[in-house]
Amino acid sequence: MASDTIALGIADPDARPIGERLHDWVVTVDHKKLGILYILYSLFMLVIGGVEATIMRIQLIVPHNHFVSPQVFNRMFTMHGTTMIFFVAMPILFGFGTYLIPLMIGTRDMAFPRLNAFSFWMTAFGGLLLYFSFIGGNGLYGAGNAPDVGWFAYAPLTSRAFSPGHSTDFWTLALLVSGIGSIGTAVNFITTILCMRCPGMTLGKMPLLAWLNLVTGGLVILAVSPLTAAQIMLSIDRYLGGHFFDTQAGGAAVLWMHFFWIFGHPEVYVLIIPCFAFASEIIPVFSRKPIFGYPVMVGATVAIGFISMSVWAHHMFTVGMSSYGNAFFTATTMVIAVPTGIKIFNWIGTMWGGKIQFRAPMLFCIAFLFQFLIAGLTGIMLGASPFNWQLSNSYFVVAHFHYVIVGGILFTVFGAFYYWFPKMSGRMYNDALAKWHFWLFLIGFHLTFDFMHIPGMLGMPRRIYTYEPGRGWDIWNLIITIGVFFQIAGVLVFVGNLLWSLLKGEPAGNDPWDAWTLEWSTTSPPPDYNFAKIPVVESRRPLWDIKHPEDPDWKYE
Amino acid sequence: MHRSDSRTETPEATPGTIKLPAPTAWPIVFAFGITLLLAGLLTSPSVSILGAILAVTGCIGWFQDVLPHEMEETVEVKAEVFVITTPRREVERLPVAPELPRALLPLETYPVSAGIKGGLAGSVAMAVLACLYGVLKQRSIWYPINLLAATIYGQSLQLTPATLNAFHLGSFVVASFIHLLTSLLVGLLYGAMLPMFPRRPILLGGVIAPILWTGLLYSVLGLLNPLLNKVIDWRWFIASQFAFGIVAGLVVVRQQRVRIRQFVPFLMRAGFEGPGITKEKPEKDGSR
Amino acid sequence: MSSATLARSSNESAWALPSRGRVGMFSLIAAESAVFTIFVVAHIYYIGKSLSGPTPKDLLELPIFSTVCLLSSSLTIHLAVRALRKAKVGVFGLWWFLTMALGAIFLVATGREWQHLIYEKGFTISTNLFGTTYYSLVGLHAFHVTVGLLAIALAMIFTLLGKVKPEHSERLDVFSLYWHFVDVVWVIVFTVVYVIGR
Repeated sequence: MASDTIALGIADPDARPIGERLHDWVVTVDHKKLGILYILYSLFMLVIGGVEATIMRIQLIVPHNHFVSPQVFNRMFTMHGTTMIFFVAMPILFGFGTYLIPLMIGTRDMAFPRLNAFSFWMTAFGGLLLYFSFIGGNGLYGAGNAPDVGWFAYAPLTSRAFSPGHSTDFWTLALLVSGIGSIGTAVNFITTILCMRCPGMTLGKMPLLAWLNLVTGGLVILAVSPLTAAQIMLSIDRYLGGHFFDTQAGGAAVLWMHFFWIFGHPEVYVLIIPCFAFASEIIPVFSRKPIFGYPVMVGATVAIGFISMSVWAHHMFTVGMSSYGNAFFTATTMVIAVPTGIKIFNWIGTMWGGKIQFRAPMLFCIAFLFQFLIAGLTGIMLGASPFNWQLSNSYFVVAHFHYVIVGGILFTVFGAFYYWFPKMSGRMYNDALAKWHFWLFLIGFHLTFDFMHIPGMLGMPRRIYTYEPGRGWDIWNLIITIGVFFQIAGVLVFVGNLLWSLLKGEPAGNDPWDAWTLEWSTTSPPPDYNFAKIPVVESRRPLWDIKHPEDPDWKYE
Repeated sequence: MHRSDSRTETPEATPGTIKLPAPTAWPIVFAFGITLLLAGLLTSPSVSILGAILAVTGCIGWFQDVLPHEMEETVEVKAEVFVITTPRREVERLPVAPELPRALLPLETYPVSAGIKGGLAGSVAMAVLACLYGVLKQRSIWYPINLLAATIYGQSLQLTPATLNAFHLGSFVVASFIHLLTSLLVGLLYGAMLPMFPRRPILLGGVIAPILWTGLLYSVLGLLNPLLNKVIDWRWFIASQFAFGIVAGLVVVRQQRVRIRQFVPFLMRAGFEGPGITKEKPEKDGSR
Repeated sequence: MSSATLARSSNESAWALPSRGRVGMFSLIAAESAVFTIFVVAHIYYIGKSLSGPTPKDLLELPIFSTVCLLSSSLTIHLAVRALRKAKVGVFGLWWFLTMALGAIFLVATGREWQHLIYEKGFTISTNLFGTTYYSLVGLHAFHVTVGLLAIALAMIFTLLGKVKPEHSERLDVFSLYWHFVDVVWVIVFTVVYVIGR
């Protein structure tokens, strides 16, 4: 992808040796190149995390299976969770944000271009450090040893006594490094959106993507910083003999849970809000209607941002909080469903009466609407503390959050990918392959994660290595694993489509979707300077105003 | 990470070129240094020392990039001439009233107070019917009230068939609260939903909606209110639902509709008064 | 973008956006506040939960002098930036040096306190819970003071070399936000560790 984008961006590409072109990418501070680097890096990590998930599912396909050892299984679920959250979902969303925000608000780069490069490399090196643990994490088992404490690493499992060697330290320090990068990116997003908008683009006329990324930036700052603080504490415990989470010396293991989930729950919204942003850009364009209820969408997003800071302990109902604590966190969890529901209604309102075009990005967004609704409903179920006591830490929970993260986040990311691929590469993707990807992945997703709810309700706990036959879990686990192979097939088609389209795709043109936001007013791929002349806008859909001078939007906003 | 604004969007010094931040390797050196500094904790101190050296070098280099002036590179603007157009078909426009070429629907809706009034009226109708059932069938006006309170009130849940007919103050307060709250909320929902189905408001509000949520309640009543579930008389239950729906629907549709104010600026809707708020959008001729 | 301007009238003259430096610094301060909040919460949560001595009462004395020094450095940095804005570089250098000196005094005082605790009282980060939360919270703050002092020293060197001009006042103003933040955090740390915790 790298060489090709350059090929399309710079005249006469073959005149320069490949080493020089690679060097361009390493030293770049250009938001478009960094955005693409983020996305490529995350796609690579997505494959790694996917392999880890596949290993787990093969292990669980039949009872009493011994595909991998229990120790490897523990490492797999830890690394899978950590990789997917910190090194796939966050960077890919940051990548799209980095690429799109300056283009959509009509400026030439991020507010702090060098900080932007620094943030990307911190994220990238954090991932490298995490995976170096497979080689360098000498632990109890002698050989290389990856972290195996679960992705939320509850105390006291992380103390020196229970986790000798360096495997947990790799986890801690990798997240510390990537966390610094995330905070840098968030600072950059906020500053760019507040300080770099093109003339005329008041806050009320920003594209929703910019608005939602502004909220995401704020959430990253308020959520990732506590995680960074907690990781520093854990390092103090492990390296300097501190007692933060050492119950032997009066410390509290529950405090780690609070600190982790103060990060952990807003993190879910850090991941889903940018996906809301994709849906809010894609659905109007393919419904040929402006977004329904723009101010309400902004308000609901800001409300989600605030409420999400007060729901964290619904991950901890089984810990044994006071009844007031349970009631409070149940109530806030119910409340956060309201603004989220408003958004779903607004997307449906956008599609209602529109002239819907079922292109690949739109298909993924429609699937997202249904799947995110179901994910939200199981979320409300799990948010009710009595229900949660029954099913916490079961496969029902696993099914729920994979419904959010795969059915909600990954689907919109795929949609965004197809939507902006023509802009990033200058070439159109293969539509037939894209639809194959969609249907294969959709079938695989539903086979895997619909049926995953059932063994959860039948009592199958998460993170178990294997299980006894005859508990009624066997058939469901088989179906779940079969679904995984459909998903793999879908992703392979996706990667194939990506490569094929980069080399052989038809030129896309500057505005293949007849869209309305500023990124489509420049060439595909955009020149280094984005806009030869900084645009001036008057409405939320500046390109509509140009295309329809007889009926511009600014008369109604 | 703090820098002041030295870059501005002023026209470039030489026409046909644009200044952009120059590529630099120092951020990656700095990032790698920090990573090695921490990786030394996992491997050996020498790695940390190397990391510290790299971090300091990267920091100094970065500093020199931005001070005293930000490093910039000059990029030539390629002449791109393209016109932003839409591939949509051009259509002849019907001559509509000049001030409203776009339809904003619905133009009118019920005020919030309509839903509240409807909900309250419906609640009376429902209560009358429920109490009638209590008096006629169970010979006590308190019977349905005690049953309703058992939804959230533990004490009512423990009532025996013998004490169900007696008056209990706690049950009465709780039941009144539940009844009023749900009636108000459902009334508000009616007020919001009825304009969406303008043809047959009474059919929707009075028949379809009650059937829908009676069905819903039928399936979950065992969880919500086991006591009521045990002794419920579904014919009377659905009759009282119909009563609520029809009365609430009737009251709502009889209210005066108001023009929606969705397209009025927020400050005006919020009731602020002051110069400049009510200013009209500048009129513009379409010749641009 | 060559086709048409997207605006119907030129209102570029009225287009003003907040300064990048200030917004960026405020975002960074928000992130740092969240980090400190977690450490402060841990400290408060663990007050009196240590299973063994020594207790804060045995160890801590109110660091009044160094607190006064650090807090007054907020005033001096403000006066320094104001002087630079009025192009009085000499006055700026004087106030700036005073800021640096006050910050250094604070850091030295913290160092001496730690030296006293570690070498004379044998109280370290691993002694008990109080040791853990005390050293990490005060240490985190001291780390921020150190970073700030390094930046101040750097600017001091440039001042002595005569390279600081009135047009740099904006950058130094943004930096002074960080320094004020460090001071405000000290007020909280002081209250939590030395007043409530004792």
